Order: sequence, then C-alpha cells, then structure tokens
Amino acid sequence: MLSRWGLVAPLICLGAPAIGGAQANQAATRNQTSIAIDERLADDAHLRVGDRVVLSAAPGVGVAGRGDTAVIAAITKQDADPSEVARDDYGIRLHLGDLQRLTGDPDRVHRFAIRTVGGPATDSVRARINDAAFGFHAYRSADVAVGTSRTFQVVSRFHRAIALITIVASGIFLLCILLLRVEERRRDIAALRLMGISRRSVVWSIVLEAALISLVGSALGTGLGWLGSVLINWHYRGVYRTPLAFALVTSHIVLVAVVLAIVLGVGAGYLASTRLVRTPPLTLFGR
Amino acid sequence: MTVTDTLPAPGPNARKPEPIVRVRDAYRDYPMGKETVHALRGVSLEIAPCDNVAIVGPSGCGKSTLLNLMGVVDRPSRGQVLIEGRDAGAMRDREATEFRLRHIGFVFQRFYLMAMLTARENVELPMAEAGVASAERAARARELLDYVGLGARERHRPGELSGGEQQRVAIARALANRPALLLADEPTGELDVRTGAEIIDLFRRLNRDGTAVVVVTHDAELAAAAWRTIHMRDGQIVSQPAR
Ligand SMILES: Nc1ncnc2c1ncn2[C@@H]1O[C@H](COP(=O)(O)OP(=O)(O)OP(=O)(O)O)[C@@H](O)[C@H]1O
Ligand SMILES: [Mg+2]
Repeated sequence: MLSRWGLVAPLICLGAPAIGGAQANQAATRNQTSIAIDERLADDAHLRVGDRVVLSAAPGVGVAGRGDTAVIAAITKQDADPSEVARDDYGIRLHLGDLQRLTGDPDRVHRFAIRTVGGPATDSVRARINDAAFGFHAYRSADVAVGTSRTFQVVSRFHRAIALITIVASGIFLLCILLLRVEERRRDIAALRLMGISRRSVVWSIVLEAALISLVGSALGTGLGWLGSVLINWHYRGVYRTPLAFALVTSHIVLVAVVLAIVLGVGAGYLASTRLVRTPPLTLFGR
Repeated sequence: MTVTDTLPAPGPNARKPEPIVRVRDAYRDYPMGKETVHALRGVSLEIAPCDNVAIVGPSGCGKSTLLNLMGVVDRPSRGQVLIEGRDAGAMRDREATEFRLRHIGFVFQRFYLMAMLTARENVELPMAEAGVASAERAARARELLDYVGLGARERHRPGELSGGEQQRVAIARALANRPALLLADEPTGELDVRTGAEIIDLFRRLNRDGTAVVVVTHDAELAAAAWRTIHMRDGQIVSQPAR
C-alpha cells in the first residue's frame, strides 16, 4: 500500500491563509486538495485543521493570489528523529497527485515509502518493486536507518566514552573518600582492637559500611541523573520542538554505575581496613 | 544486682587469693634507630582480684607501657606477664584479642565510642563479638547503663552525651563481658573536676562489686581514691605498698 501522503516538499511555498470567497467557491467545486502540516508550522502560523491555505511551487506566487488552495486536513507531530532535530524548515505533506500537479512534474517521484504489515511481506514487496520498477530500488527502512544514523552512532559512542570516563573518575573519587574515611577512623579501630574486637569483625563492618555508602550513593546518583535527564529533555524538547529524548538514563548505565560503585566501594573499604587492622593498635593510636 | 559477678566476694575464711596479674621483672625496650628507649626496666608487681590500684609518676616514666603489658596489648622485651595465670607474652595475636575481649576491660582517656551507635549499641558491641544472644545482650546493656546511671539515655548517640556521660558509657562497655580486670589510662584526663569525681565514684563502686581496677593517672583525686598507689620513675617502680 502506498503511503497516504507524498513526500515532504520543502520547495513549496505557503500563501496567506486567509482566502477570499471567490477562491473558496472555486476550490469547493474542484476536488478539494487536502494537506497535512507539521505541528511547528501550525503553531507558528496559527493554523488549525480545516483552515484553507494557498500552495505554490514558486516563492511569492501564492501571495500574489495564484496557486492551489488546500485545506489543512491534519497536523502531524515531529518524529523523534535525530536527523530532523536541527532542521527548522517546515514540513507539508500532500497527496502524491496534488504534489505532482503543484510542481508540474507529473509521473515523477524521487522517493516514496510503503508501510507493510511486517514479516515476510516486506521482502516480497521489495522483490516485486525491484523486479517491476526499472530505475527504482527498494530498501528496508532499517537498512536506510543504519546508513543515515552512522553519524549519530559515532556521536553516541563519544557520549558513552564521556559517560564512562565520568563514572570511572567519580568511582576513583569515591575510592579516595572511602580510603580517607577509613583512615580517619584509625583511632576508633585501634580502640576496637584493644577491646578485643577481631580483625575480621573490623574489616567486615567497614566493608559493609562501604557497600552501604556505595549503594546509597549510586541510588542518589541515579535519581539525580534521572532528574537531570528530565530537565535536559524538557529544555531541549522545547527549544527544538521535537519529541526526541536528548538524555537517557538507561538500565544499562545504572547497572554499570551501581556495580562499579559497589565494587570500588567494597574494594576500597577492604583494602583500607585490612591495612589498618594489620597495623598494631598501639601504632594506630599514634605512638 | 551483680554486674561484676565473675568472682565470688571473698568470704570470712578466704585465703589470700591468687593474683590476677603477675608481672615479673618485665622490661620493655623500643629500638629507635641506633638508640634504644628503655620504657620499662625490671618492673615486678601483683594485682589481686578486687584490687584497686593507681599507677602514678611523671610523664614518660612508663605507666602506659606497663598498663599495655597488663592488657595483653604489648609484650615485654624481657621478663614475664601473667594474666589470670596465662603468659601474655606467649599469646598469638588472635588469642590475645580473644583474651582481651573476655577477660579485660579497657577505658581510654578519649572514650572512643562509636559515633553512629547509640549508648546501648556501644555497650552491646563487645557482647556481640563474644557471641552473646541479642536479647541477652540488650538486657545486660540496659543493666550496665543503669549501673553507670545512664539507664534513661540508652538511645542517645555519643554526640548527644556530655564527656562524663560518654566516659560512663565507655565504662559500661568495658564491663560488658564481665572482665575480672579493668584497665584505665587517664580516664578523667578529658573531664572537669566534677565529672571526674563521678567517674572516681563509679570506679570505687565497681571495685566494691568485685572487679580489679588499675588506673594510670595524673589526677591526684583519682589516685587518692585507690587502695594502693604505685609510684613509677624512669621505667621502674619506686614505691609500692603491699596488697
Ligand atoms: N612505640 C614507642 N616507640 C618508642 N618509644 C616509645 C613507644 N611507646 C612509648 N615509648 C617511650 O617509652 C617511654 C614511656 O612511655 P609511656 O607512654 O609509658 O609513658 P607514660 O608514663 O604513660 O607517660 P604519660 O604520663 O605522658 O602518658 C617514653 O619515653 C616514651 O617516649
Ligand atoms: Mg601514658
């Protein structure tokens, strides 16, 4: 099945939305041209479904009163597509026939999309198009996406590297803090050892405390990260008017952060405490 | 109430009891590069069960060193230290730790209570290490806090207690596993005169109830409250009343 709407036509100029009665009647007698416009255009030009506009393929022509009158039949939402984010031009969708008539280029399309029910149907449709339409090649949308999203994959890899460096750096920070925390308590540990608390108990309690600190810390960090991502998304979605998510706290990232924090925390607690309990308590007391 | 019920109170026909501490000609040298510091030079003394001893002397004369030997924290370089008949110098680290846990109570100048734990939890700590069941632990901790006059403060953390109160919690903690011997190094060193007097009172009561108490102190009042005062100078005992 051919998609309901033809391609986005950036070259199409949009005339003044207010249309006189004569033109309106004329439009009504014809088969009415209906279009879909994107949300941002609707917002900026204060257009609603049912409004009439003049479309023209050449700049300025629509304003002069010529061109096709069309009724806005639908307002489309922006896709969450990173390649669309930075584009601030407006998208208008027309029926293929209307578009061809408007551009004066009948029987010519550069690209069109077909929605299938998925599964083997996709391949059979592809095969039939490739056999029947000379000069055309049908691709799966997934394959096209791979091609167009390569840049984003690279950017995303950079982001992952930055995230990893951040996590490792804060992990080392955590390590230092825990080492200091344990070091601060050398006299307490000395007192415990003098009281007859075994090395194992001392190490165990410190490791447990370190694990708890790491766990609570990473939970707080995750919460903070989540809040940050909500704010960032809220801000940039407003700026770019897209449903795209700019910051994501994925379960994978959370898992890496929590595991790293606990491993580092427990490791630091263990190292620092074993070092301290091996030191004679009187030495720990600073004698 | 029998907080310190390890040992039976001496009856009317009791013979002179075996000492719980016996230090025989003990030396403690610290090699410091080419020099050697002779912290103790041939110290001998005995502490009886229920004894109440103050060790006094000028700074650096070896009081703490001697206390550490009696507490099985340190070993003599020469000579012998017997605690309840066991040779402290021959104990391995793990044995010494276990021995301290069950037989010796320590009270420090700076209390060293665990800041995150409540008074009761601090007192329970050595009992938990000794494997005492939790209900019994809680009951004994309450009993001990009552004994030191802090029954109402069991849920308070050290930060919410005054210095004197913290020291009383520390004393309760030292008594947790019913030690026969309580060792205190300058226990009133951080306290004012009035709170120091409370601690002195507490030691006296404790001793009456059957625990041997040895305190190292510069505090004349605390020393005067003991039955015996051992004077030290330059790593030696210069005067020691008979027990
Ligand atoms: N670990 C050590 N290394 C080297 N010298 C030490 C050590 N411990 C103690 N000494 C020395 O041993 C001597 C006795 O020290 P000790 O701490 O027993 O004195 P003290 O009588 O308790 O003094 P104070 O009243 O000031 O506490 C001192 O000269 C001290 O410098
Ligand atoms: Mg001292």
